[in-house]
Amino acid sequence: SDRGMEKRNQTPTSPNPHATTMTSFLSATAAVRSRNGEKCLPIHNSEGGATISVSFDGQNLAIGTGKYPTASYHDDVGIDHGITQAPWERRFSPYEFNGGTTLAISGKDYAVVAADTRLSSGYEILSRNISKLHPLTEKCVLGSAGCKTDVDQLRSVLDIKMKVYAHNHRKPMATPSVAQMLGNTLYYKRFFPYYAFNVLAGVDSEGKGAVYSYDAIGSFERTPFSASGSGQSFLIPLMDNVISHKNRLDEKRDLEAEEVVEIVKDAFITAGERDIYTGDAVEIMIIRSDGIQKELFQLKAD
Amino acid sequence: LKDDAKKSPVRTSQNAPTPFQILYFKYATAISTIPSSTSILTTALILTMSLSLQPGGSSTRAPPTGTLSAPGNAVTTRPITTGTSVLGIKYRDGVMLAADTLCSYGSLAKYKNARRLLPVNSRTLIGGSGEYSDLQAIDDLLRRNALEDRCTADSLYEEENDAEDCAKEVWSYLRAVMYNRRSKMNPLWNDIVVAGFRQNDDGSTSEEPFLGIVDKIGTAYEDDILATGFGGYIALPLMREKYRPDMEEGEARALLEDSLRILFYRDCRALNRVQIAKVTRDGGVLVSDPYELDTYWDFKGFVTNKGEMGTDGGW
Repeated sequence: SDRGMEKRNQTPTSPNPHATTMTSFLSATAAVRSRNGEKCLPIHNSEGGATISVSFDGQNLAIGTGKYPTASYHDDVGIDHGITQAPWERRFSPYEFNGGTTLAISGKDYAVVAADTRLSSGYEILSRNISKLHPLTEKCVLGSAGCKTDVDQLRSVLDIKMKVYAHNHRKPMATPSVAQMLGNTLYYKRFFPYYAFNVLAGVDSEGKGAVYSYDAIGSFERTPFSASGSGQSFLIPLMDNVISHKNRLDEKRDLEAEEVVEIVKDAFITAGERDIYTGDAVEIMIIRSDGIQKELFQLKAD
Repeated sequence: LKDDAKKSPVRTSQNAPTPFQILYFKYATAISTIPSSTSILTTALILTMSLSLQPGGSSTRAPPTGTLSAPGNAVTTRPITTGTSVLGIKYRDGVMLAADTLCSYGSLAKYKNARRLLPVNSRTLIGGSGEYSDLQAIDDLLRRNALEDRCTADSLYEEENDAEDCAKEVWSYLRAVMYNRRSKMNPLWNDIVVAGFRQNDDGSTSEEPFLGIVDKIGTAYEDDILATGFGGYIALPLMREKYRPDMEEGEARALLEDSLRILFYRDCRALNRVQIAKVTRDGGVLVSDPYELDTYWDFKGFVTNKGEMGTDGGW
């Protein structure tokens, strides 16, 4: 009787197996991250691609113990082949990177948009003359690199929306409106994105050149120029110097459309030299209020 | 988010969750079960691991544990019975396709007389590589469409009606089918080559031949010469070298046979029993019976052990 009461009133000495010292998700990651910079769960692939095995048995958090190595790094391709990490089953991926580079530059009363014509898959070239440029109206062209099947689907969806708009408003869509609609269409698929890196180029209602850059989920901005795709790292620094006139001492002047086309050709020769996914030919379009001019410029086919 | 988690605790694979949806759902579960801090941490840790944005997409990420899919509603994860390359080439009179008649079961050469070049209607031909059962499903689907076209056309007589889909229509339709399946994460595991002619605006068959390809995620493009699988590495460079737009039928056939022979030498999952098929303007679709290709195994490179050649050797 008394003993029973005593026992019931007694505070248990052993800790409750279901209680932990972590009281929230945030403090859990903070605790983990605070140990030695190497032994961290990765947050972003900018942290060198390190991943680590973690096990939690209800009470103890075990990091990097057991048979799997700690803080291992992927090779550049991101495929580990079960060498440094535990082997796992390769799953079907709905995406594939088909390569390509697009570039768009806006001018006073024109916009120039260009894209290479190579379609790749891994190290194979599937085709050397596939167009990545798609006129949406007479005054605006969409250039997309990335996963071709998603790009084709995006174009079909946009074409339908533009048709509906033209029926309802009895006029074709203006370029800034197309830009907004494209952003919305991409965000509509926020949780299973279109793997498309877009640039939109055209002339606005006042006749001035307009270029918009996008990311895969629809955030966009009107910019003086835009490059996207596998060769963007080679083109953007060059454009910063030549188009935006950064880090130059001579005076900036407005460029004519023909000069910009020559710059674009040189830019693609440069990108094609170092990027394996860029090459074969460049399709260049000059968009003005009175129409679109096209040109096809051959590049090295290697 | 709490309500979402309560509403749909079980998901079938009919609307199988994509990796993104799975993350979203797990996040919802994590928040809704706050009292139990154990499950938060486990879920949170799994969540963090799957959040790491490794390049290569979901194929290099560990499969999310606790994927909720009801049994019996499985999705395609890998091909089982497969066909190897299909080759296609445009020539003077039309388009020609070639493929061998082998269906492999992994490394077993299981079916040595399988038909991989299939007529869809009187003016379109498809050739498929990859999973053979999915190819049969596609063939069923296309022939069902063709039958419906014939039955609902203005005339029952083939010569008079242009209701049959031309090759370009079949190609576009197939692209939509493949894209739809991949968006449900349950692909038809094939690369399909479509051969035939374009259609004029009035519905009559055009003079211009058409050769296009659709892969398992819906990548669709057309060209003068096409090859799937291993053919892309071994046969395509040879065909690109020898191709001329106005080749005679004999030349085109010889080129395809040579390519198939070389594929047999170098592709482990190929066979020398082959089929050729063609679509011509006047003759419609013709598929040959399977026949054997002659092979020559006395090349010095095949016979001599490379280790003996005095250089650094090799196999």
